[in-house]
Amino acid sequence: MHRIKKFFSALREDAAAVMRDPIQRRKFFKYLLIHLVVVTAALVCIYPLLRIFSVSLRPGDKLFSTDLSLIPDNATFVAYASLLKDTMFLRWLWNSLLITLATSFIGVSLASTAAYAFSRFRFPGKKAGLILLLSSQMIPAGMLILPLFLMIMKLKLMNTYLGMIIAYSVSSLPFSIWILKGYYDTIPRSLEEAALVDGTSQVGAFWRIILPLSTPALSIAFLFNFTTAWNEYLVARVVLFSSKQYTWTLGLFELQGQYITQWGMFAAGSMLVTIPVLAVFLYSSKWLISGLTLGSVKG
Amino acid sequence: MEILRSIYEVAGFIVLIALGVAALEGYFYYHFKCHDKPWFLPVALAAFPAAAVVAAGAVLGGYQFRLWFYFLAAEALIAAAFRYAVKGRHTVPYLLLAPAFVGLALLLVYPFVFEVYLSFHDLKLTTIMSWKNTGTLPFVGLRQYFDVFTTSPLSEVTFWALLLRTLVWTFTNVFFHVAGGFALALLLNNAIRFKGFYRTLLVVPWAMPQVVAVLAMRGEFHSQNGFVNIVISKLLEVFPFLASLGVAPVQWLSDYPLLTCTIINVWLGIPFMMVVILGGLQSISSSYYDAADIDGASYFQKLRFITLPLIKPVLMPAVTLGTVWTFNNINVIYLVTGQAGGTEQADILVSALYKAAFTYNRYSYSAAFAIVVFALLFFISVTYLHGFDAAKEER
Repeated sequence: MHRIKKFFSALREDAAAVMRDPIQRRKFFKYLLIHLVVVTAALVCIYPLLRIFSVSLRPGDKLFSTDLSLIPDNATFVAYASLLKDTMFLRWLWNSLLITLATSFIGVSLASTAAYAFSRFRFPGKKAGLILLLSSQMIPAGMLILPLFLMIMKLKLMNTYLGMIIAYSVSSLPFSIWILKGYYDTIPRSLEEAALVDGTSQVGAFWRIILPLSTPALSIAFLFNFTTAWNEYLVARVVLFSSKQYTWTLGLFELQGQYITQWGMFAAGSMLVTIPVLAVFLYSSKWLISGLTLGSVKG
Repeated sequence: MEILRSIYEVAGFIVLIALGVAALEGYFYYHFKCHDKPWFLPVALAAFPAAAVVAAGAVLGGYQFRLWFYFLAAEALIAAAFRYAVKGRHTVPYLLLAPAFVGLALLLVYPFVFEVYLSFHDLKLTTIMSWKNTGTLPFVGLRQYFDVFTTSPLSEVTFWALLLRTLVWTFTNVFFHVAGGFALALLLNNAIRFKGFYRTLLVVPWAMPQVVAVLAMRGEFHSQNGFVNIVISKLLEVFPFLASLGVAPVQWLSDYPLLTCTIINVWLGIPFMMVVILGGLQSISSSYYDAADIDGASYFQKLRFITLPLIKPVLMPAVTLGTVWTFNNINVIYLVTGQAGGTEQADILVSALYKAAFTYNRYSYSAAFAIVVFALLFFISVTYLHGFDAAKEER
C-alpha cells in the first residue's frame, strides 16, 4: 500500500515538473495527441473483429439486439456448438485445407526452380520472361475466371478438389517467383562456386545449398500461396456447387445469406477461421512485407 | 472414410503432376542432349507425337485423328529449333524454368487466348450444351465488342457509366489509402511507447481473411442492427438537434452501396500502405533530419524536401500495385452487393464483368468485356511502368 502511494506521489511530482517546463509540456501534449489518434485508429481497425466476437457469444434470442457491449449478458458458446453440429463447417474447413495445401505445395515447388533460373543464369528470353511475370499481375483476376471455368467444365472437373487445385495452382506463381528471385539474389554466388569446385553439379548446388539456405523465403512464398488460396472466394463460387464440397468462404457466405442470416453461426465461424489466420499473418508479416518491396525497390 | 478418400484423390493428383513434370523434363533433356545425334529426328518424330495423342485422349476422352497432324507439326518445329537454333545451349536454366512456364502457359496464357477466341464467337446459355458436345461455336466477328459499348452488361448500367465509376472508385480509394497510410505511418514513426502493439492492431483489417472482414463490415452497415446506424440513433437520442441537420439512420446497403463499399475498402486498404510507408520511413537516415534541424527547417519543409523524395522509391511501386488491386477489386463489391437481385449501383467494371458471366451467363459477351477492360488496364499500366522501367530489374 505504502509503495503504491509512493509511486503515485512520485508520478505527481514528475507530472508537475513536466508541466512547469514549457518545452516538456509541449512535448507531453504532442505525444498525448499522437497516442489518442493512434488509439482511435486502432479501435476502428479492430472493432469489427471485436463485434463479431461479441455476436458469436450472444444467446439465440439476442442476436439482433442493438446492444453494443463487448461481452453480452448470458454469454454462451451455443453458436459455436451448433455451428459444429448442425452445419458442415468442419467439412468446409477440411476441403479448404486440402485444396490450399495442394496448391501451395505445387506453386512453391514450381516457383523455387524457376526463380533460381532467373536469379543465377543468363539466357535468351530472360528479360521477356521477367516482364511476362510482371505483366501477368496486371491481368484482371476476374478475367481468367471465365476461361478457367469453361476449361474445368470441359475436363469434367466441376465441383471437385482437382478442379479447384488446377484453377488456383498458378495464380500466385508469378509473385512467388518474384519473391524467391529477390531472396536468391542476396545469397552470395561464392557459396555455389565453392560447391561446384568440389565437384557437385549446378542442380546439386541448388538442391544442397540454395534451397536449405532459403527456407525463410520458401516459407514466406508458401504462406503467401496458402493465404491467397485459403481466402479465395470468386473461383470457388463458380466451380463448387454442392455444399458438401464448399470451401469455408462459400460456407460462411451462405450462413450470412441474403435474406436469412444465421448471424450467430456466421460470427462463430468467422472467429474460428480468423484467429489462426491472424496469428500466422502477424507472425510472418515482417518477412512478407520485405518480400513485397524487395523486388520493386531495387533497380 | 470420406476423409481418406479425399486425401487419396488429392495425393494421387499431386503424384500425377510430379509424373507430368518428370516427363516434361525428360522430353526437354532428350532435346538438349541428343540434338546432334543422327537418330535424334526420327525418334523425336515417332515417339513424342504418339505419346501426346495418347495423353490427350486420356485427358479429354476419345481419340481424335486430327491431333496427329498438330502434334507432328509441333514436334517437327520444336526438334528443328533444338537442332539448328538452340544447339544444346542454356540447358540448365531452361530445364529449371520449364515446369513453371508450362504451368503458366496452360493456366494463364491459354485461358487468355481462349478468352480472345470466345470474344469473337457466341457462347451463351443456349449454345453451351452444343459447345460441350461438339466443341464448335458460331462465329460472330466483332459483334460482342460492339455490344460491349452499346448494351448494358447487367440490366441498366452502361459501359461508360461503369468506366467513370471505376475511375472514381480507384482514385478515391487509392487517395485515401495513401493519405491514411501516410498519416498513420508518420505518427507511428515517432518514438512512442507501445509502437509494436499499435502496429499489430492497425494491420488487423489487412490480416483478416478478406471474406470475413468484408462480410463483417457489411453487417455493421445493416440498416437495423449494424453498428453505424446504432451509433447514429444513439447520437440522436443524446443530441436531438442533430435530426434537424439531416442526420438520420440510413439504408446504407440499398441507398448508398458505392459509398459503403468505398468506406469498407478504404478501411481494408490503409494498413498495407501504412506498413509499406512505415518501412520506407524507418530506412531514412536520421542524419538528414539533423542537418535540416541545424539549418532551421520547419516540420513541413522537412516533410516536403526530405521525407517525400526519399519515400518515393517505396511509394511508387506500392501505389501502382494498389491502383491495380483497387481497379480489379471484385471481392468487396461482390460480397457487399450480393448476387442476383442485388443492386448494380455499386458495380465497377470488373464486378460487372463477373456478374455478366456468372449471374447472367453471357459468356462471350463478358469475354469481350474482359478484353476491353484488360486493354484499358494494360494501357494504364504501361504508361505507369515507363515511369520506373521494369527492365532495370534485370541484373
